[in-house]
Amino acid sequence: MVTLRDLWRTAFIVGAALGFGLCVILLASERPGDAIYAFFLGPFSNAYFFGNLLASAIPLILTGAAACVSFSASVFNLGLEGQVYLGSFLGVFLTCRFGELPPLVVYPLVFAIVFCCSGTLAALSGYLKRARNVNVLISTLLISYITIYVVDALIETVFIDPTAGLAATPYIHDKFLFARLLPPSDLHSGLFLALALTIILRIIMKKSALGFEITLTGKSPVFARYAGVSVSKVLTLSLFISGGFAGIAGITDIYGIHGRMFRGFSSGYGWNGIAVALIAKNHPLWVIPAALFFAYLENGANVGALLADITPEMARTIQATIFFTVTADALFSLIRKNKGGDAWTPSSTVSSL
Amino acid sequence: MDTFINSIVPMMTPVLFAALGGLFTHLSGLLNIGLEGLMLLSAFFSIYVAHLTHNLFFAVLAGIGISMLLAVFAGFLSLNLRANIFVVGLGVNLFANGFTVMLSSLLFSTKGTVFFQNLPKLSYIEIPLVHRIPYLGPILSGYGALDYLAIGAAVLCAIILYKTPYGYHLRAVGRDEKAAQNAGISVYWHRLYALALSGLFAGLGGCALALPLQTFVGGMTNGRGWIALVAVILGGGKPSGVFIASLIFGAASALSNWLQASAPMSPKLMMTLPFLITLLFMIVKKNNTEEGV
Repeated sequence: MVTLRDLWRTAFIVGAALGFGLCVILLASERPGDAIYAFFLGPFSNAYFFGNLLASAIPLILTGAAACVSFSASVFNLGLEGQVYLGSFLGVFLTCRFGELPPLVVYPLVFAIVFCCSGTLAALSGYLKRARNVNVLISTLLISYITIYVVDALIETVFIDPTAGLAATPYIHDKFLFARLLPPSDLHSGLFLALALTIILRIIMKKSALGFEITLTGKSPVFARYAGVSVSKVLTLSLFISGGFAGIAGITDIYGIHGRMFRGFSSGYGWNGIAVALIAKNHPLWVIPAALFFAYLENGANVGALLADITPEMARTIQATIFFTVTADALFSLIRKNKGGDAWTPSSTVSSL
Repeated sequence: MDTFINSIVPMMTPVLFAALGGLFTHLSGLLNIGLEGLMLLSAFFSIYVAHLTHNLFFAVLAGIGISMLLAVFAGFLSLNLRANIFVVGLGVNLFANGFTVMLSSLLFSTKGTVFFQNLPKLSYIEIPLVHRIPYLGPILSGYGALDYLAIGAAVLCAIILYKTPYGYHLRAVGRDEKAAQNAGISVYWHRLYALALSGLFAGLGGCALALPLQTFVGGMTNGRGWIALVAVILGGGKPSGVFIASLIFGAASALSNWLQASAPMSPKLMMTLPFLITLLFMIVKKNNTEEGV
């Protein structure tokens, strides 16, 4: 249910982010007029920029959905970045190995393997939680760091394209690349895959027994246990699905845009996915507009860097304001002059972690 | 081998500082995951001010100041506006990451390494008698001022937390919010102080990272803030435990650096060592159910 309160909240977050963006531009730019125009309207000014905006929303939709699943079960999967990285690398490796086969055979195979491997990487933290009571937030994060370094090591040594001039794998065969929808922009048919997967996730979360158990565990693990739900199994499964979606996010971006894996490939897809899920309040379908908004900020800064004198990193400071305001429920109560709401208090967060 | 042993303490210092900061917020019942971002901001500003003023004291002051400012702002968001401290912490990290690179390209017109050759150097202190002890001397003596300060700070924190009324009150707030409130202890102020202190120590950690290298690079903290958070949990929320956990990380980092220089292996693979060893300690350690996650 979307309430008026939710709309106010979203409007405020969007307004705060854009307002802060305006301030940063006014302070940092020497040609603020050009910069403001490029940042706010640039992404919509032509088909090329608009296509790129949609294209960069695709991985965010998928990582946003990934974060939704684990957040719904109240587990913080902070390893999305590593799961994206592993998925992309494995996907490229397998696609190169299966180079002879037709794409229609390779796609399902690669997607299934990537989903399972990235999912298992995340589910490992669920296992560690059950067996040794290791903090999930910390184990997903540490495992993610380790994964990124190991994959980097593989890219730099075993699976490197020596002619590339940077640490990158060889290109996959052209026949595997997704169709471009709006050339010359980056927009590719992976968009439909991302949309379909979020809808499937919505159905799983809303209609299936597993989805119900995940939501129940997230709301109250104690109650779920009394209701006969195996809480640790549900946590592990939600981490598995979460990691799987993150892996798919990575390989989709490779099939759609890059055609190969390189060092530093996932520049914050995982972290931004977390913000996207938070704006969407863990609702898989709201992930789509939230991801578009995030992509808009990113692309606005990129266009601004191209046409005016702002740096692309500016986007990150603006995105940070979203993290600052997104859960500040009392702020919205102040504005709306009513108290209450289901705020996440700091203490309840620590105890639920 | 000597260089390996002598590099343990300098590798430990930034993590130990940040972990002491994380200890205060942890004991007050908050999980400050913004340590990474606070360190990064402080690293940038300490280098920048050192470059402007050629004065290390001002540099450290600037690093601490900016870090405390952001930490208190995070406290305002979470305590006054009821934002989730965890999400605000992620915001702090993202903000610091973008803001430092943005400033670096505005002020120094580079997004890469900012290196200043003519910055004042941190002095290395030889402890008068100790450094002449055979074998042990070189291990105990000859570190930078900030290294000694970190170890001193750990001792000081232990005293503050276990021997002063403030320490008791702080731990009471973290143990049972309602009971503390009923006993007349202000939960709000203790949490805000704890966040300010975490800003102070994370700021010192950032200085200890950047000033000895005379360098700032985007993302140079490279997970140290997170490791500090692990050190707090691994150390069981005690200053002594936090010190030992930081020392383990320092040794793992030193080992990783040493192997990168001497073993014919992929340096990237060696860089997993600190994280791998920390994870293994997390797994082996007896985790009681109360601490959660």
